[in-house]
Amino acid sequence: MRIKNYNELNSLELDTLREVGSIGTGNAATALSALIGEEVRIELPEVRIMEYNEAIEWIGGPEEITAGVLVKMSGQIDGIMLSVQQLDFVNLILNSMLGKTVEDYMGLHEMECSALIEVGNIMISTFINALSGLADIKVDLTVPAFTVDMQGAIMAVPMAAYGGQSDYIMTIGGNFVHDGKAVPCRLLLSPDIRSLNTLLRKLGVSSGD
Amino acid sequence: METKLTIGIADMKMAKGSGMLITYALGSCIGICLYDPLIKLAAMIHIMLPLNMEAGRQNTMKYADTGIRETLKQMEAKGASRARIVAKIAGGAKMFEVNGGSLGNIGQRNIDSVHLNLKKEGIRLLKEDVGGSVARTLLFDPSNGMACVRCYGRPELII
Repeated sequence: MRIKNYNELNSLELDTLREVGSIGTGNAATALSALIGEEVRIELPEVRIMEYNEAIEWIGGPEEITAGVLVKMSGQIDGIMLSVQQLDFVNLILNSMLGKTVEDYMGLHEMECSALIEVGNIMISTFINALSGLADIKVDLTVPAFTVDMQGAIMAVPMAAYGGQSDYIMTIGGNFVHDGKAVPCRLLLSPDIRSLNTLLRKLGVSSGD
Repeated sequence: METKLTIGIADMKMAKGSGMLITYALGSCIGICLYDPLIKLAAMIHIMLPLNMEAGRQNTMKYADTGIRETLKQMEAKGASRARIVAKIAGGAKMFEVNGGSLGNIGQRNIDSVHLNLKKEGIRLLKEDVGGSVARTLLFDPSNGMACVRCYGRPELII
């Protein structure tokens, strides 16, 4: 059955997407471990279907400042992938790559931003590679875009992109664990509805039409 | 302490004479304040997209066109006069520089649509703080018609 809205997904489909999230995030964690030379593991990945304002509360409130790396997917599936990097994560990266930490986001200059973009891009690409291998689909990615601003406005980007189709946003992703502590870097995949149908069909859990 | 009314995404609220209307983290979205200064009736809308093309049009406040139209109707029902209503807006930023596709210019399309629809409804736009690449939090005080825009890394701006 083809779904018309995110909240029509059945439990088999949700389980499948959770598995995609698990494999994608797992691969991204491995890439991150290799980059910083320390073990990084993942928390249990989640598939969430949320109303807009609920999504913003979930990520931690609208005005909280955060760094975001965004990549747009096109080709056989369309979607947006975000790496939302909160300060603990930023410092984990900067400390291992540049040997420094920052007090707040104001301390990020060109070099620090480049490092964060690169790490975000590698994690996103690794996730998408795993996804495209799993479902046997071809996905093109844009050059990563970066901003430091209120996270409500960052989360609103995928919402606005698919807002004409749905009052909900779907995210697949999870957090990382480093040195026994959860590190808040959410890796969030938001496909549009058509692409979600394609993905489920390719993964063999939806007959399609 | 004065009461604060928070307007979520695709939401609208009204206040008369006192309190504070606030909407957080406008990125490409636009916050629209509509105000009748004589009876001190204020409404704030947080729209996300320029045009309502949804079948059934349930979520009117998600869109600039139906949001403005519906809000004016509700304000008039509370005694506001269209000839007196003025507007202040903020938002419509481009949060990420992504080349290609329609993603990048949702903010600009929102600004254009809000301008067009205010004009169509005969509402005077007093002040605006739009475009650029920064997220904005918008506050509006119904007691005096003052709006304030808060951004990261920039001083507060009164509009």
